[in-house]
Amino acid sequence: MADLAHTETQPRALAHAPEGMDGVRHARRLSVGARCALPVAVLLGLGFLAPLVAILAYSFATPRSFDVFRSFTLANFATLFDPSNTVWVSFVWSCGFALFTVALLAVIAYPIAYGLNMVFGRYAGFVSVLFVFPLFVSENVRLYGWVLFFIKNGVLDGTLKWLGLPGGPEVLYTPGITLFGMLYTYLPFMLFPMTLGLALVPRDLVDAARDLGAGRLFIWREIELPLAMPGILIGMLLTFVLAIGATAEAKILGGQSVIVISHDIEIAFTYSQNWPLGSALAVVVTAFIGVLILYVLSRLDLDRMLGRR
Amino acid sequence: MAGRGMTGVYGPGLSRRSLLKGMAAGAGAMAAGPLFSGSAFAAREKELNILCWEGYNSAQVLDPFRAKTGATVKAESLTNDPTMINRLRAGEINTWDLINVNNPWARKVMLPEKLIKPLPKEQFEPFFAKMLPSFKWPYKWAMSDDGSELIGMVQRFGPYSFVVNTDKISRKTAEDTGWNLFNDPALAGKYGILESDDWNVFGIFIVAGIDPFKVHTPEEMATFDETAKRVFKGAKLIGDIASMNQALISGEIDLHLTGGTYSVSPARADGHPNLRAITPLKGPLTGGKGGISWIEVTSTVNNPQLSPLALDFLKYVQAPEVAHTVAFAEGTFNPVAQMGNPDCFKLFTKEELDAIQWDSLEEEMARSVEYDIVPDYDKALDIMNAAKRLRG
Repeated sequence: MADLAHTETQPRALAHAPEGMDGVRHARRLSVGARCALPVAVLLGLGFLAPLVAILAYSFATPRSFDVFRSFTLANFATLFDPSNTVWVSFVWSCGFALFTVALLAVIAYPIAYGLNMVFGRYAGFVSVLFVFPLFVSENVRLYGWVLFFIKNGVLDGTLKWLGLPGGPEVLYTPGITLFGMLYTYLPFMLFPMTLGLALVPRDLVDAARDLGAGRLFIWREIELPLAMPGILIGMLLTFVLAIGATAEAKILGGQSVIVISHDIEIAFTYSQNWPLGSALAVVVTAFIGVLILYVLSRLDLDRMLGRR
Repeated sequence: MAGRGMTGVYGPGLSRRSLLKGMAAGAGAMAAGPLFSGSAFAAREKELNILCWEGYNSAQVLDPFRAKTGATVKAESLTNDPTMINRLRAGEINTWDLINVNNPWARKVMLPEKLIKPLPKEQFEPFFAKMLPSFKWPYKWAMSDDGSELIGMVQRFGPYSFVVNTDKISRKTAEDTGWNLFNDPALAGKYGILESDDWNVFGIFIVAGIDPFKVHTPEEMATFDETAKRVFKGAKLIGDIASMNQALISGEIDLHLTGGTYSVSPARADGHPNLRAITPLKGPLTGGKGGISWIEVTSTVNNPQLSPLALDFLKYVQAPEVAHTVAFAEGTFNPVAQMGNPDCFKLFTKEELDAIQWDSLEEEMARSVEYDIVPDYDKALDIMNAAKRLRG
């Protein structure tokens, strides 16, 4: 029996072998669509990688030279970490601005996101458009608009004086107005992931909790917030990454009352003509943000976030 | 350039080194991507690429040339010389046909480094005869160091020291006091600084009473450091030309460094003649002068496949009508050397002459030394950037 069984299974196995190998070969071979897309994929891949590789390579080049791929030195990083170098001041300002932007936007955007989901009803779409619409106008133009609003004898100051009041506060060209500009610019980037997060909270759960006697605060703390947290965290992460690289607000509204880190990188690439130093600075900032993102993402449950569980 | 990059990647004898070199070339090609409309190896009779200060890239200047030649003309404007020159150094010599930068760079840097090539003298010398008297042949900044080669053509120029609102500080006070205005504690918080860092290095040196265009002693650098920290700390804002003019008009600031006809002319043309570029009567510069001036020189890039249109364009902008257009192209308004030609001069209206301060232009140029290279610029700039960070 055992022999019989063996002889029976043998031909089947043999019959399967070529098919199996064919399957493997088939799996290795790309589909027609994938093959057609390959040139574009390679181009996109190179387009993504080339600047990053160039920046990384430049960060190890001789300072104030263009000897990329021809020289290797850690001098640029040594300059950055030299205790006498004050570039950390810019870094601290950027981090501070980014943290405050995230914290304040979380508080500002939450009620709006809640409103979009639960309160505004059929007007929610219209309200969303109001928040999206400014994104169609260049950021610089919008920021210059705010300058005209706040400037001496501008819209605010001029109107108040016209009304016989003492005039507007002197807020332009300060770190405070820079923060205001960042809150204004990045609000949609916090708002929409947060809205999406809140949309994932099942109404049934909230209703059930209420039926069981839970108070508003309890429902918010125990149900809404934890379930909306993935969206909130994505919003925070996105806002933080964008805000730490922000430069226009500090330049246009802030009048460079403080120098932010991305501006330092820009100076290195322009007036200083020290591409290697600028690249090293860019690498350090990118690494910092990269590690931070990886850490946060490692703490997030992507499956739950995408509603797969 | 893209083609060469690909050879590096796929060619025989592939090594890590050649791969990396190929990738570098590829990255460079991608950075300059928009400029490569056709094959890099095709004949370039019908294309011209210009790297310039703003104005030459405007449609008013370029469109008639495009229509006349049927060529694809691309121009990129940048607002500082070192960046433009480093673009050539970084390998874009094969991309550009013309480069337009301030006076010293052509003869002192770009020609010795073979980034530009001389112009045919016999074709261009006659143009100098029709320029303003100070630009007569052989004009220093258009010639090589030994005077044997013509290395560029001149057009826009102007004095560039600082700008005041004459309603707040009179022209006379500003000219008499000069750069010491920025040492006056009473004016702290009432001035701005134009974000033009190479010029600000000059400005801070002069505020410190030091000639910028020489090698500096450690003591002079220490004074520069102290001055930079104080001047930047006292500035109400740092910003671009539009921000400076806006802040002057609104009354946020009374004066700003660095600036001149180039930066204030748009505001003057816009109905604010009280804003005025000032050239101090005296200062620490050579000959006791207190101002600095600039003269743009446009040169042909040492491109192995230089477009024949490069020379045509240089001739085209010498024509009276085009020179006038260049003077009043979008962005900033400036005097041009071609105003020495009566046919060109008569095209300027009274308002235009007033915008570029024609009334005092000659005396202001005479009170200025010409823009030059600071030997220890890198060090000074680092000090200045550190001073900027201490504003917050």
